[in-house]
Amino acid sequence: MALQLSQDMHEPNTILIQRTLRSGQSVCYNGNVVILGDVNPGAEVTAAGNVVVMGILRGTIHAGATGDDTAVVIAFRLQPTQLRIANHIARSPDEDFVADPGHPEIARVKDGVVTIEAFPPGGERQGKN
Amino acid sequence: MSEVIVVTSGKGGVGKTTATANIGAGLAMFGHKVVLVDADTGLRNLDVVLGLENRIVYDLTDVISGNCRLRQAIIKDKRFEGLHLLPTAQTKDKSAVTPEDMKELTKELQEGFDYVLIDCPAGIEQGFRSAIAGADRAIVVTTPEVAAVRDADRVIGLLEAAEIREPKLIINRLRPRMVERGDMMTIDDMIDILAIDLLGVIPDDEQIVVSTNRGDVVIADENSLAGRAFKNIVRRILGEPVPLMNLQTGNPIIRRLRRIIGLG
Repeated sequence: MALQLSQDMHEPNTILIQRTLRSGQSVCYNGNVVILGDVNPGAEVTAAGNVVVMGILRGTIHAGATGDDTAVVIAFRLQPTQLRIANHIARSPDEDFVADPGHPEIARVKDGVVTIEAFPPGGERQGKN
Repeated sequence: MSEVIVVTSGKGGVGKTTATANIGAGLAMFGHKVVLVDADTGLRNLDVVLGLENRIVYDLTDVISGNCRLRQAIIKDKRFEGLHLLPTAQTKDKSAVTPEDMKELTKELQEGFDYVLIDCPAGIEQGFRSAIAGADRAIVVTTPEVAAVRDADRVIGLLEAAEIREPKLIINRLRPRMVERGDMMTIDDMIDILAIDLLGVIPDDEQIVVSTNRGDVVIADENSLAGRAFKNIVRRILGEPVPLMNLQTGNPIIRRLRRIIGLG
């Protein structure tokens, strides 16, 4: 299955954040955001386009903030406090413990619901089991 | 080389003042000339914890407003040779001290002391900004609670923004038995989020409450686990590589037996 990314992914307006975002820090950008580090709980990222976190995503994230619901969020470990894509809102499960899937994940809107899958698609087959 | 170290946390009540008092006393025990600066104007505690409240004549705000000279406001500790306190005012508020004032003050203090330790107020407003203004290094204190770790993370971000590089972490009030049972955040959980160097772990110790209320410091107590943990922290500040203390209590064989029969 070909991965459909937001159109913004092909445009040059992408910002690279080369550090971890700590609690209280925020990034708001009219384009894609790539973070080389973690997004800690209490940090916020708002992007008009896609968000890629090369680290652990534990904060609040809003992709496609200007209404683009084809935007996606990708992280090495996807454990956001809250994840929004356009006007869809999802939050982490209330259970304390979420098992680490051991591979990167992608969140996107499918049929009006925020869906989380392994990334790259089919990546689960490359996992340990 | 004289150093200015700020002890901060974001959240209140995690043990900044106790840590400042103990680390200061420890550095003095190792023969250094130390001054502790209470930056918590309006809610001063450091003098009480050190049992020096009754000796205050002038304070930090008097120095800043030119009511007295710096030398007159500094109080010598009654037990530790080399330990000094610069108290702050209880009757004023944080607006009495600006970041520029603190920069000037710490510069002046550096001339007379090997270590200047600043006890930062809780919060991230003006009091915090003034307290960190003159610091070269920072120690962030947290407890194994989600809220404290969250605030520590916020403060580390602000310290980095203020160009105070590589803050060090002290984890206070750890209860090893609770960690073993999985009821408390582990050291690794906290390091995982905060991603800074660990300076030391202080176990939860009733003796701290006893000494603090008496105006004494626990680091002087050889029998206290927390006292020894503070001493290790001081040695690490002085550049000695000291391994982390084994915090598990009791006899290891009994501990293993307890675990086998499901009591651990």
